[in-house]
Amino acid sequence: MADPRLLDQLFTRIMRGLVETGRAPHYAELARALNVSVPEGRQLLLDVMQAYPIGWLHPETDYIASFPPLNNLPTQYRVSVRGEQKWFAQCGFEATSVTWLFPGETVRVQAPCLDCGEPVVIEMRDGRLMTVEPASIVGHLNWGFGPSRGKPPFL
Amino acid sequence: MNLFRSEEHARRWPQFNPASEDGLGFIRLEDLVAFFGTESRQHMLDADYLSAWYPRRAAERRAVLERAGKTTPFWMGTPGTP
Repeated sequence: MADPRLLDQLFTRIMRGLVETGRAPHYAELARALNVSVPEGRQLLLDVMQAYPIGWLHPETDYIASFPPLNNLPTQYRVSVRGEQKWFAQCGFEATSVTWLFPGETVRVQAPCLDCGEPVVIEMRDGRLMTVEPASIVGHLNWGFGPSRGKPPFL
Repeated sequence: MNLFRSEEHARRWPQFNPASEDGLGFIRLEDLVAFFGTESRQHMLDADYLSAWYPRRAAERRAVLERAGKTTPFWMGTPGTP
């Protein structure tokens, strides 16, 4: 396993890159930022994803698909900050965690309800719910947590 | 792991898993905010998040689930989960 300090640095680069641009950097970009070779950057990415298994690479690639609470692959959970929508939450649950990536800002999450397509909207600021529309919004876990679930983690 | 306009909307979702019925798979939004807002989750931008904070996440989440009364295998992630 790689030096934990390097893993921390790579993790931070990915997370901050997502926050700043809405997109996850490629391992070749990360390698340059960390002053390591490109193959070393790729291995570091694989190590980080192993250490942070709640995220994942797109199957059979080295592209970051999900790095919760944000997603590099668009989902229905659109995230806006300062009126700009350029982020996506990994899922409806992680959507409530995005607030911690934008301290002092109002984070708006809007998604179509999977039943009717009408909007589900929450706004949070520093971990507090500011807006819930409609007030009856609930979270739903369709398949239990854990390795026995046998279903894609995004359901 | 979705947000729905209400429990009724979730039940009408064509992919709704009947095993999540009877309140088993539902969680109040306020509990969800606590579940995903534990102390470690508030440090995701810290330089040492992966080594120092992420390892605390699982225990924190178990504690929140216990306070919310969600101690079934469905939420705790133990074998036999439907």
